[in-house]
Amino acid sequence: MNNTDKVKQSLKKRYAKEKRFQLYGKIAVMTGFVFLGLLLLDIITKAIPAFQSTEILLEIPLDRHTLELSSNIALNEDTLSAIDYAGLVKKSMRQKFPDIKKRKDKKQLYKLISSGAEFDLRDMVISKPELISTTPLLIWVKADDDIDTFFKLQTRTSRVTDKQAEFVEQLILQDQIRTSFNTTFFTASDSREPEQAGIKGALLGSFWTLLVTLFLSLPIGIGAAVYLEEFAPQNKLTDFIEININNLAAVPSIVFGLLGLAVFINFFGMPRSVPLVGGLVLSLMTLPTIIISSRAAIKSVPPSIKEAALGLGASHMQTVFHHVLPLAMPGILTGAIIGMAQALGETAPLLMIGMVAFIVDIPGGVVDSATVLPVQIYLWSDSPERAFTALTAATILVLLAFLAVMNMLAIFLRKHFERRW
Amino acid sequence: MSINTSAKISQPFQANTEPMLEETSNKATTKSSDNKSDITIGENIIENPKFSTRNVDVFYDDKQAIFNASLDIGRNEVIALIGPSGCGKSTFLRTLNRMNDTIPSCRISGEITLDGENIYDKKMDPVLLRARVGMVFQKANPFPKSIYDNVAYGPRLHGLARTNSELDEIVITSLEKAGLFNEVKDRLTAPGTGLSGGQQQRLCIARTISVSPEVILMDEPASALDPIATAIIEELIDELRVNFTIAIVTHSMQQAARVSQRTAYFHMGKIIEVGNTSQIFTNPRHQLTENYITGKFG
Amino acid sequence: MNTESPLSGHISKRFDSELEDIRNKVLTMGGLVETQVNNGILALMESDSVIAQKVATEDYKINAMEVEIDEQCVEILARRQPAASDLRLVVTIIKTITDLERIGDQAEKLGRFELELIDEGSTSTQYAKLEHLGNLVSKMLHNALNAFARLDGNVALKTIKKDKKVNDEFESLMRQLITLMMEDPRSIKNALRVSWCARALERVGDHAINICEYVLFLKHGKDVRHIDYKEVKKQLSK
Repeated sequence: MNNTDKVKQSLKKRYAKEKRFQLYGKIAVMTGFVFLGLLLLDIITKAIPAFQSTEILLEIPLDRHTLELSSNIALNEDTLSAIDYAGLVKKSMRQKFPDIKKRKDKKQLYKLISSGAEFDLRDMVISKPELISTTPLLIWVKADDDIDTFFKLQTRTSRVTDKQAEFVEQLILQDQIRTSFNTTFFTASDSREPEQAGIKGALLGSFWTLLVTLFLSLPIGIGAAVYLEEFAPQNKLTDFIEININNLAAVPSIVFGLLGLAVFINFFGMPRSVPLVGGLVLSLMTLPTIIISSRAAIKSVPPSIKEAALGLGASHMQTVFHHVLPLAMPGILTGAIIGMAQALGETAPLLMIGMVAFIVDIPGGVVDSATVLPVQIYLWSDSPERAFTALTAATILVLLAFLAVMNMLAIFLRKHFERRW
Repeated sequence: MSINTSAKISQPFQANTEPMLEETSNKATTKSSDNKSDITIGENIIENPKFSTRNVDVFYDDKQAIFNASLDIGRNEVIALIGPSGCGKSTFLRTLNRMNDTIPSCRISGEITLDGENIYDKKMDPVLLRARVGMVFQKANPFPKSIYDNVAYGPRLHGLARTNSELDEIVITSLEKAGLFNEVKDRLTAPGTGLSGGQQQRLCIARTISVSPEVILMDEPASALDPIATAIIEELIDELRVNFTIAIVTHSMQQAARVSQRTAYFHMGKIIEVGNTSQIFTNPRHQLTENYITGKFG
Repeated sequence: MNTESPLSGHISKRFDSELEDIRNKVLTMGGLVETQVNNGILALMESDSVIAQKVATEDYKINAMEVEIDEQCVEILARRQPAASDLRLVVTIIKTITDLERIGDQAEKLGRFELELIDEGSTSTQYAKLEHLGNLVSKMLHNALNAFARLDGNVALKTIKKDKKVNDEFESLMRQLITLMMEDPRSIKNALRVSWCARALERVGDHAINICEYVLFLKHGKDVRHIDYKEVKKQLSK
């Protein structure tokens, strides 16, 4: 038997092996995809209701007589905010169901409407005083979260009474109940009432926190990377620092939270729950990531470019800033964005520094109390109201969307600005 | 040394295998002792040199890369440094513009003077030195910038042009001197990395001469090029000799023979022999040079 | 002997054998030429028409060898780009074979003139004693080839030194022949033939000296042509 035959014999086996191996790979990839798909499917199905809210049509008379405003009273903020909007809303509800007399039933009737309806009405009137006229105002107000859930999902829970179900059926018949896009989710901040809760506060909190993180960790990270890679003398101390930076990347994030609590809040006396401290802590956490990826990017700049610049008489500094850094920038930015994405999704260290508080105000700067998206998710997932489940899922979706965008940006930067030589 | 029986002649003139080059063989035997005294054969010292090195030793940590090298480089001459890999010729070249400064473990002793000034003197600024002694590398390494910016980088760095039109002129003349201008004049803003290998190398030469150095060091400038591109570079080197002093490290002996006026042969960190290129290539005096040039086992 | 043969030791073993091959061929050619010259001299001495005929016709072998070696040398130049001693060897061989071929031509002349003399019913010995010149030249050729084979500079130098002797001998032969021709004009025809033979032998000596000079170039890398013996010695001792 010659070699060709031997090779032929072994060929079959080899191809079979190759096919088997490819199959394993495919199975692994498929498994991953299935799990990812399940996860996304679960989140999306849960999140969909959160993007819609149930509204009920109210007809509210806004003439001066009903409001007990004599015609000589000026319509300014003081006089307008003094109006009993709660009474107006309740009255309007009573008018819808005039045959209800019992106090208990009335109370249930009022509960159809979100407790925030009167405030929405007030804000509307104050911003548009010309609404005070003889024509009654037709306004869609948010339904209570239980009714919302009942109407959207058509499943009754014990929190919806028989009487309330009856009311809803009547409203449906009169075409006075509908679902519409839930803008509140994006424009409001946290609330105890799910139908009034939104993510704007958390979103801005995340924004301010990340801004602080970016402005701290990017310059420090790049500076440290450039120094370590280009200028630091090769000695034991440098080696020691290198090892520690690498180890720092593997430190559990909650440890950074403890550190932030001890140093920034207890020692420096910074306020709790503010994006500034959150950003500081997250900077500590992302620094190793940025330093390591920046060093890798700097290292990948071919030495021939450096030599060319040095050979022309550029100083070491000039070489680094004219050639090495610009060429390493895509890599550095990719690392920074991935570090930022990590920071965006981080919860544990922020819990330690008090960014887990219930904050209704939308933060206007880095020293306003705030919470962040992942913490908001954590908070809502703990809430008993059923509607919060949907809000949690929706917030996760938003967070995932931001992470995806950031990662895509990183890929874009890498693909587009990476120079070939 | 081995006895080579194939050299025996079975013809009418039955000759024994007496050494063909009696005297040079004797040199080869004395060579082993020469190694200790580090004597370089030939005309390594010349009158009125541009560059002059005396008793230069180079160490990387504890490893000595150059042993007691003394070599002069004349004005407007092309000197070729040849030798087997790892013989220290590139290291020697890099000591001439202090590129070895960037290697922390590198130590240099001895004296290297450029026009009589010691380049390792404290007063000598390596940045200034490198503006005076330019370098072209083995692999064409244009910056990932436009052709124009590649050439303009050096003049901008050293502030050689006061106005844009002055800079334009420097760029154009440099490209012309490098024989590249006609090929790229329509695309000066195109990236330098988009040129062919030979063009890239000429761009690097243009970039080097843009700062008007006095000496150009070339480290195997054509080793990655095809014969045509190599021939163009060699022709260019010959033209550049009018204005510059050139030291070229090359692995191609034919190239050394073609472009240089003098040749120095390096072996194991020592300069074995220096002489006129024609003499080195027709009648080297040292057995090691002979062996290297004829392609024999060292 | 513990020195490498100068031809061997290349990293390319085929280059070694190529150089060895052309060198051996040159030596073969040298042997052929030497035989021709010796036979020519013998024919003159013995008035042997068979040998003379042979000498007159065998020259083509030498010419063929010259062409063959020439081609091989060109091939080596083209493919190997030899340098230093290799280059000198190839150049030396190219030149040496030219001289050898010319020596062959001179030997052929000896044979042809001898045949003519025999046709006339005469012998060279009647006119002049070529034997001494012939021996001298034969020895010189032998030594030149020996110097080439062994790359022996001393032998080459000694051979170059003999040039004067050959010239002196030739001069005296010519005077002898001129005297003869003046005394007996009828002998002019044959005497001229004999003088041409002497001339041919003298030329062989010149070519042998050329070969010795090439050997010195090959060995020392110095061109010693067109300078006198003392100057050569001075140059080489430098």
